[in-house]
Amino acid sequence: MTGVVGRSVEAITGALRSVFAAERIAASDGFLQRRDPRASLCAVAGLALAVMITRTLAVTLLLGAVTVALARLSKVPLRRLLARSAVVPLTSAFIVLPQAVLLPGDVLVEAFGIAVTDAGVSYVVLFTLRVGTGVALLSLIVVTTRFSSVIAAMKALRVPVALVWVIAVTYRYLFLFFDELQRLVLARNSRTAGRSTVRGGWRDVKRIAGTFLLRTIDRGERVGRGMRARGGARPPSPYDRTRTVDGCDYALVAFAAATVIGSWVIRWGL
Amino acid sequence: MGPVIDARQLSHEYPDGTTAIRNITLTIEEGERVAVIGANGSGKSTLQLALGGLIDTSTGTVEYFEETTDAEDVRDRLGVLLQDPDDYLFNTTVREDLEYGPAQLGMPRQAAARRIERLADRLGLSGLLDRAPFRLSGGEKQRAAVASVLTFDPDVLLLDEPLGAVDDRYRERILELMTAHEGTVVLFTPSPDLVPEVADRVILVGQNGSAVADGPVREILTDGSLLRDHGLRPPTTVQLFDGILDADEVPLTVSEARKYLSREMR
Repeated sequence: MTGVVGRSVEAITGALRSVFAAERIAASDGFLQRRDPRASLCAVAGLALAVMITRTLAVTLLLGAVTVALARLSKVPLRRLLARSAVVPLTSAFIVLPQAVLLPGDVLVEAFGIAVTDAGVSYVVLFTLRVGTGVALLSLIVVTTRFSSVIAAMKALRVPVALVWVIAVTYRYLFLFFDELQRLVLARNSRTAGRSTVRGGWRDVKRIAGTFLLRTIDRGERVGRGMRARGGARPPSPYDRTRTVDGCDYALVAFAAATVIGSWVIRWGL
Repeated sequence: MGPVIDARQLSHEYPDGTTAIRNITLTIEEGERVAVIGANGSGKSTLQLALGGLIDTSTGTVEYFEETTDAEDVRDRLGVLLQDPDDYLFNTTVREDLEYGPAQLGMPRQAAARRIERLADRLGLSGLLDRAPFRLSGGEKQRAAVASVLTFDPDVLLLDEPLGAVDDRYRERILELMTAHEGTVVLFTPSPDLVPEVADRVILVGQNGSAVADGPVREILTDGSLLRDHGLRPPTTVQLFDGILDADEVPLTVSEARKYLSREMR
């Protein structure tokens, strides 16, 4: 399968690789990796909240700079962070793009009777930057902290068990889903000769879609049994990976708290 | 010593109408070494899932440790290894997979860490602990899956083809671990050659999904016609000495055959 499906699966496989490369980053010795996962989780959640609160370009850029600094200190390649974080803000930008002409304000450019306003452009830019910074912060916690540590930290922070469970199972089944797709396409590739056309690619999509669904359900059931066989019917209970909370942990959380307060004050005042 | 598993009238039919197991009744006593053998598609894996409390059978009940019919109540005492390691290894690293069972089942972390270290060393996984399970070779996955079921030290092991893709060196080590296990071992395999190395008792599942024979290893494995009727062959050494020695003298394993031959050739 060398057409559109093959390329899509390659892209998905690439994404999978980057996720598992992220596990290597999580194992490396960086600033966030050295933090107690509870402190990292609280701090990153706080910074993301500050981004959600703000409506000011300067504050958003400052928080973006903090995110980049944290990434550098944690030995996260900026290009990889950007690649992981770019899709959501770009999609958001596409969705809010009409606001550039819908919002009233001083006209910047006018063509074919459509006026692009400064208020509209500011809104689109600010919205995209806020989404981008928020997603980059979440990516940062994912790449610098092992998944089981994130789950353990959420439990320690008394996040509702149902939510922790949903996140844990979704994460596992997401990989399962892609893994099954990869197997299916590999199995087809091993018995397919020549390059397929776009039409051929779509025909392949039709052929494998139903099988893929059935196989995914079947695999899901079997993995579900594998989980139950080792106590998976009980709430997630990863070993606590907390370390001794040190001054840097407190400082990081205090910084995040100050950022939330600062963002709040700048938006709404005291 | 009482029964650890007491299964009554187990039958299971899949939604597509396939009857996988049919009216199976069996009791497994504490400390027993049992091999469940049968041809491909005879229902061994379904029987394993039923005994492990991982499927709701169409009919029948399974009682565990004379205490309960709910396997979840005794999950920490049952080690069920599924046939396909890809179904068993779903965490992002091998280490997390090895920790999964002990953590879920409440084993103290230090005890689990010591056990994981020992098993990883024994099964050649020490250098693979931070690797993603789906990046491992077939044999490595199999070893990781075997280690995963042993990490929480269950009383009863229900192992479905645990040696599938494993090379000879680790095959021996897994067999040693099974032999050294102090509890009960139930092995599900289509390979009679493996049985004498692990089991004292054999349950033969016929191709219609019912238990057609249950008895001591020598009695079942030397009955060539019984095995052939149900799609299996006797162990290689039994075939070799068929017609030469009586059933009660036939070597069941290569080491027994070597001993016999060296004795006879002196």
